[in-house]
Amino acid sequence: MFKGLSTDQAPPIGVPFRFFLTAPIFAIFIATIFILYPQEVIFNRYTPIAIATVHLFTLGVLAMIIFGALQQMLPVLAGAVIKKEKLFATIVHINLTFGTLALSSGFLGSSTFLLIIGSTMLSLAFGVFFFTIIRLLFKVKYITSTVNAMKIFSLAGLITAGVGLYLLSSYITYDIGSNHIDIANIHISFALFGFAFILVMGVAFQVIPMFYVGQDFPKYIQNKFPRVVFGMLILFAIFTILGQDATPILNIVEILAIVFATYGLYILENRRRAVFDVTLWYWKLSLASLILSMILLLVDSKISTIAFVVAFGFLYSLLQGMMYKIVPFLSWFHLNSKGHFNIPNLREYIDAYNIKLQFIIYLSSIFCFILATIFNQMFLYMGSGLFIVSNILLMINLATATKTYHEISKLDPMAAFK
Amino acid sequence: MSVIKEYMSADHRACDESFASMENAVHDENWSEAKKLFESFASDLLYHFDMEEKVMFPAFEARSGSAHCNPTPVMLMEHEQMKKLVQDMRADIDSKNKEHFFGLSETLMMTMQQHNMKEEQMMYPMVDDVMQAENSMLLDEMKNLQRVDS
Repeated sequence: MFKGLSTDQAPPIGVPFRFFLTAPIFAIFIATIFILYPQEVIFNRYTPIAIATVHLFTLGVLAMIIFGALQQMLPVLAGAVIKKEKLFATIVHINLTFGTLALSSGFLGSSTFLLIIGSTMLSLAFGVFFFTIIRLLFKVKYITSTVNAMKIFSLAGLITAGVGLYLLSSYITYDIGSNHIDIANIHISFALFGFAFILVMGVAFQVIPMFYVGQDFPKYIQNKFPRVVFGMLILFAIFTILGQDATPILNIVEILAIVFATYGLYILENRRRAVFDVTLWYWKLSLASLILSMILLLVDSKISTIAFVVAFGFLYSLLQGMMYKIVPFLSWFHLNSKGHFNIPNLREYIDAYNIKLQFIIYLSSIFCFILATIFNQMFLYMGSGLFIVSNILLMINLATATKTYHEISKLDPMAAFK
Repeated sequence: MSVIKEYMSADHRACDESFASMENAVHDENWSEAKKLFESFASDLLYHFDMEEKVMFPAFEARSGSAHCNPTPVMLMEHEQMKKLVQDMRADIDSKNKEHFFGLSETLMMTMQQHNMKEEQMMYPMVDDVMQAENSMLLDEMKNLQRVDS
C-alpha cells in the first residue's frame, strides 16, 4: 500500500560517489582544451571545438553530478525509490562517461564513427535515466512544489536530449539544414533554463530554507515559476520554428531568473543560522553569477563571457557546494546506520581549510576566464591552470571523505563493545 | 484536510528556530545562555519525537496494518541517531568545546532536515490519509501528551 520509505531506501554510497568523482576529471579535460586550442576557435560557438568543450561540461560535469545526486535525493525528496539501483547507476554512469568522451572526441577529431558511438551511448544514458525517474515521479502520491519542479525538469531534460540527438544526426549525415541554428537555440534554451535552472529552483526551494534556517521562498515563486519557465520555453520553441523573433520570450525567463536569485540571496543573507558554513560561499557565488549572467544576456553581451559566468559561476559552483554537503553527510549516515558509533562528525571528513582554499582558487579561475573573453589568451592560460588545480583539490577533498568512509566501514562495528 | 502535516511541519520549523538560537549563543560563546537554549531545544525536539512515537506512529500502524512497507521503523531509527547526537552535543556544551560542538550540530542539522523532508513529504500525508476525519482527534491527543523532561 505505502511505497517509499523503507530501511533500504538509500542507495549504496558508491552510487552517487562514482558520479561525483568522475565530474572533476571532465572539468580538467575542458581546461586542457583551453590550453591546447587557439582562443578564437574556443570562443566561437559554431566551431566543433567549442561544441566539444561545451558538452564536456554539460554532460561530463553538469549531468554527471545531477544524475548522481538525484539518485540519492529522489528517495528523500519524493519518496521515489529506484529498483536495482546499482545496475541502474552502472548503466547510466558508463554510458554517460564514455558517451561524452566519444561525442567530444568525435567533434574534436571530426570522426563520424565516434559521433555515432557517442549518440548511441548518450541516448541510452539519458533514456534510461529520464524514463525511470519520470515513471517514478508521476507515481508519487503526495505532490509538493519540489516534486512538480522535478517532473518539469525531467520533461525539459528529455526534450533537450531529443533535440540534441536530432542536431547530432545532422552532423553524422552531413545534412545541416537552414534551420540548424534555430534548432540549436531551442536545444540550448531547454538545457539552460529547463534542465539546469528548473532543477536548481526545485532544490533551492527545499534546501535553502531548511539547511540554513531561512524563510521559505514565496508561494507564487515555488508554485508558478517552474511551470511558467517551462511554458515560455515551449512558446519560444514554437515561435522559433515558425521563424518569429522569440527573444522577448526568453527575456521574460531571464527576468524570472533574476527575481528567483535575488530572493535566494535575500533569504541567505537573512538566515537564522549565524554559524559560518563554507558551502554558503558556493551558494552566494552561484546566485550572484545567475543574476550577472542574466543581465549580460539581457544587454546582449559577448556569448563567451556569458558562457563562463553561467557554466562555472552559476552552475558548477552550486554543484560543488552541494557535493561538499552531501558527501560528508552520506559518509556519516551510512556508517552510523551500519552500527558504527565512534565516527567522525560532518566537519571531520573534509578539512574546512582545504574547501576554502579550493573555493578561492576556483573563484580566481573564473575571474581569469572572464578577463580572457575581454582581453587576451594569457588570461585563458592562467584561468586554465587555476581551474585544473581547483579541480584536483576538489577531487582530493571528495576522495578524502570517501577514504575515511571506506576505512571505518571495514572495521567491525561491535569491536567497541568487545 | 491535512491537519497533521500542517501542525507537525510547523513544529519542525519551530524546532529549527530553537536550534538556530542555541547555535548562535554557542557561536557568541555565551555559554550560560547556550546551555539554557540547548536544554530548551532538546526538550522541544524530544517532545516532538514523543508525540510521534507514543501517539502518532502506534495509531498509524494500527490503522494502516501494512507492516511490510511501514515507514515508522526508519523514522524511529533516525530519532535514535538524533537523540545520540543531542547527548554528545550536551557534553560539548558542558566542556565548552565550540569547535567539536559545531561539527556535531552540523551533523544533527543535516540528519534532522533530511528526516523532516521524509516526514513532511510522505509520513504526515500518509497519516492524514489513513486517519481521514479522525486526524483532528489524533492531533489533539498528540498535543495533550505530557512533556517528559530530558
